[in-house]
Amino acid sequence: MKLLEIENLVARYGAADVLKGFSFSVEEGSIVALLGANGAGKSTTLRAISGLVPHVTGDIKLAGESILGRKTEAIVRLGISHVPEGRRVFPGLTVRENILLGASNRRGLKRRQMDSEVDATFDLFPDLQRLEHALGWTLSGGQLQMVAVARGLMAKPRVLLLDEPSLGLAPLIVQQVFKIISEIRNRGTTVLLVEQNAHMALSVADEGHVLETGRILVSGKPADLWNDKQVRAAYLGGLAG
Amino acid sequence: MAIFLQLLFTGLGIGAIYALVALGFVLLIRAASVVNFAQGQFAMVGAYMLVVCFNVLELPYLVSMALSVVLMGLFGVIFAFVTYWPLRHRGGLPVIISTIGASIFLENIVLVLYGPSPAVLPGLFDSPGFQVGPVFMDSQYLSILVSVALLVALQYFIFEKTLLGKKLQATSQDKEMASLLGIPVAGMILFTFAYSAMLGGLAGMLVAPVLFVSVGMGGLIALKAFAANIIGGYGSIPGAILGGLALGVAETLGAGYISVPYKDAFAFAMLLMFLMVRPQGLFGEKISEKA
Repeated sequence: MKLLEIENLVARYGAADVLKGFSFSVEEGSIVALLGANGAGKSTTLRAISGLVPHVTGDIKLAGESILGRKTEAIVRLGISHVPEGRRVFPGLTVRENILLGASNRRGLKRRQMDSEVDATFDLFPDLQRLEHALGWTLSGGQLQMVAVARGLMAKPRVLLLDEPSLGLAPLIVQQVFKIISEIRNRGTTVLLVEQNAHMALSVADEGHVLETGRILVSGKPADLWNDKQVRAAYLGGLAG
Repeated sequence: MAIFLQLLFTGLGIGAIYALVALGFVLLIRAASVVNFAQGQFAMVGAYMLVVCFNVLELPYLVSMALSVVLMGLFGVIFAFVTYWPLRHRGGLPVIISTIGASIFLENIVLVLYGPSPAVLPGLFDSPGFQVGPVFMDSQYLSILVSVALLVALQYFIFEKTLLGKKLQATSQDKEMASLLGIPVAGMILFTFAYSAMLGGLAGMLVAPVLFVSVGMGGLIALKAFAANIIGGYGSIPGAILGGLALGVAETLGAGYISVPYKDAFAFAMLLMFLMVRPQGLFGEKISEKA
């Protein structure tokens, strides 16, 4: 089933179109990667889905229902959780409090239930357990990323939007992050992943789209994208032979 | 020593009022990035609400106070819709100017409604106070101190121990991220305006029996509260409380030992001293210019 559908999406900042009308969909239970260089429109696509871009036309559907024009808070309540670029962990709150607030979209949830769910997220992020009372600003980049993802999962999302989760992390930590992303999909959450690290993204994705200046240049299965010469040369790290 | 203790007691009482107004000030800076120049007029409006409820409608004192506090909350929401909401995407300066305009408007509307002659409010207690050793505990100053201590404790509990407090903190730290988590950011900001107006109003009601209730009473309180913020560390909650108390004590000691007419000058001299020697305040972070 198509869980998330993007139809002819156009986004405008001032006079310039940042997204110039493209469509794609995300199958339930899959990982879809959006790849491309800086400024291609990857993050803007995620921000448009979350209702953070003011002038958007086309349509965005969650499980067949249009969510375009809804407020960000309403979109999260429908089950789209967005882990933005730069992690945006609240610096003055502890790790535990940050993760706890991830459940803010779920109305009527009891505090006790929330606390036990936070404890449960430590299964997936064991390193965070010993840091649970540390304030956000004291964490390293990798720890911040773990907190941001754990917080995003507390929303119990149908779709998790991840924006550049590997940015600025050491290679070993990047591998750990992508292992967690696979695990999230295996537990049943659909993931839309924006990455510059195409190598890692395609290693976990079921499908990929390469964006260039607001348009989709090419789409396909990871293996097909790997074999596309143009794509390899321009976007996948210049490994073309 | 007896005089010193007496002045200290009075200074803490008046300082607690500054702290209360400063606290409302800081909360709005943190939650909505709004520097509210009408915070002092909140105190004035609160005091006049108490005058109307108690002197005019002749409700019991505590009922009048409770009703006035609730009305101040409502007033804060209306204030937010008029001065902040239409300008919220335009940056800090337009909102500052809008709150300055609101402060002038509020003073003049009260002047039209109530006239220029000051109103008098009795204290919460009939008894003027009691003697503890060398210090005469004035009942109004005592009720100010007790009320402010209770409010600070309540605020600590709300901000540190409840989910609402965490959501308010999250909103003040990163509004967009808060909305991405489903936190109702607009609701949090309106709540802060309401709460801030309640604190300001309560400060006016508590100080009313000590001063006269007049249209201009808010201006000087607001200036002192602003100074308290700078002394405590701009944007710091413990700083606002400590800065307010320190300012109250400094001006009362200055008035008591040196000169009464120069009371306000001592407060502002302290502000100048801090700006020169420790501009980041007691709890503020040192901000240096980026190269």
